[in-house]
Amino acid sequence: MMSHDLQWYYPEKISEALKLIQKEGVILHAGGTRILKTEPRNLKGFVDISHLKLNYIKKEVKNIIIGAGCTLSDVINYCKKTNSLDGLCMALAETASTPLRNRITIGGSLKDFPVWSSLYSPLIALDAKLELAGVKELCSLEDYVKKNIIKSKHIIKQVVIKDDKDIICRVMRFNLVRFEYPIFNVAVALKVKDKVVMDSRIVITGVKGRFHRFKQSEKVLNGSTLTDEVIAKSTEYFVPKFHHDYKYSPEYREHIAKVYFNDIVKELKEDMK
Amino acid sequence: MRQVFKINSVEKELTLNPGDTLLQTLRDNGYTEVKCGCSEGECGACLVLLEDMPVNSCQVFAMSVKDKKISTVKGIGNLFHPHIIQKAFVEAGADQCGFCTPGMVIASYALLKKNPKPTKQEINEALDGNLCRCTGYVKIIEAVENAAAILSPKVI
Repeated sequence: MMSHDLQWYYPEKISEALKLIQKEGVILHAGGTRILKTEPRNLKGFVDISHLKLNYIKKEVKNIIIGAGCTLSDVINYCKKTNSLDGLCMALAETASTPLRNRITIGGSLKDFPVWSSLYSPLIALDAKLELAGVKELCSLEDYVKKNIIKSKHIIKQVVIKDDKDIICRVMRFNLVRFEYPIFNVAVALKVKDKVVMDSRIVITGVKGRFHRFKQSEKVLNGSTLTDEVIAKSTEYFVPKFHHDYKYSPEYREHIAKVYFNDIVKELKEDMK
Repeated sequence: MRQVFKINSVEKELTLNPGDTLLQTLRDNGYTEVKCGCSEGECGACLVLLEDMPVNSCQVFAMSVKDKKISTVKGIGNLFHPHIIQKAFVEAGADQCGFCTPGMVIASYALLKKNPKPTKQEINEALDGNLCRCTGYVKIIEAVENAAAILSPKVI
C-alpha cells in the first residue's frame, strides 16, 4: 500500500527532472511496474518522465538509439519492422506478457537491475552504451553496473547499440514456468565475417556480481569457424558462479547454464551458414 | 484528491489517493467491469486500453495516466450494444464464470485492431497475459477467430 501523501511531478525538461530526483524520497516514474513490485520505503514523490519525450527509436550513423522511455513492445515492434537486433528482440518478447510489455520501459528495466529484467544480458553482449542526463560521455552498460553508477541519482536518457549486420546474437533464459522471473539469462553475440568469428561477447546474468563475462571462452571463439572442438573448449571455460538458492543448487544451475551456452553457440553456428 | 480522467470517451472527475493504481481508482469510482484478480499483473482480469494498448490497470499508477485515453470493456460495447467480439465470446461459449472475460475482450480487441487476420499463434501471443481457469482457452481462441472472420478493420 502506497502512502497517501505522495507528490507527483510532471517536468518537461530533463534538467528539471534531474533536480527533482535529488530531493529525499523522490524517485523517477516511467512505467511504474517496478515501483509497484518493490514498493520502496520512505517514498515521498514521483517524477513522471512521460513529458520528457524519451520514447523514440532512431538510426543514427552506425547506431540504433533507443530512448529510455520506450516500452519493451516499442523495441520489439521496431526490431521486427527493421529486421534488426534479433537477439534483443527475442529476449524482450519472452519477458512478462503483452500488457506488461506495453508498460515496462527500457530505462526502468535498466535502473537498479531488477531481477526479472531480461534486458541486461543481450545489451551487454551487444556492447550497449548508455547516455545519462547531464553526462557528456557515453557509459558502457558494463561500467554502469561495475562502477556502481547504477546506485547514483541519475536519469538514463538513451541506450546506444551498434547497428552492425555482421553481429549475430542469441539469448536463452532459464525459468521453469514461462511467467516466472528468469533464474539466469545467457547471451552470446558474435561478429562474423566470411564464416569466421571476428569478435565475441559472452554474458550471463543472475550470477554472483549480477553479471559475468567469460573472456576466456570469448578468446577461444575469436578467430575460429566454430568447429565442434572450439565449441567444446569454449564451454569448458564457461563456469558461472551462482548464489545459493533454496530452489536450485549452484551446481545444478551451472550445469544447465553450460547446456544453454552450448546450445546457443551451436544455433549461432547454424545462423552463420 | 480529485482528478479528471478521460474514460470511455467521457471526461469524468474521480476521487483517488495519489498512490492508487488505476485499477483501484476505476473500481472505487464505479467502473466495476474492470475486475480485480491477482493485483500483480499476471492474470489480465484488470486489462484496460490505454491509448489503445492493453495494460494491466493494477500495474499502472492512476496519476501517471491522467491525461491519457482510457477505455474499459464497456467502452467497446455494452449489454444493449455488444461489440462483435463480445457477441463472439457468448456464441462460442467462451465465457463460463465470466471473470476473465472483460480482460480477454480487451486483449482481443487490441489484437484485432492492429492485426485483423491473426494466426492462432498470434492470438495465443496476444492473450499471453490473460488467465482463464474455466474454459481451457479453446473456446476463447475460437471466439477470437470467429470475431476476426466477421470483423473488418473498418468496423473495429
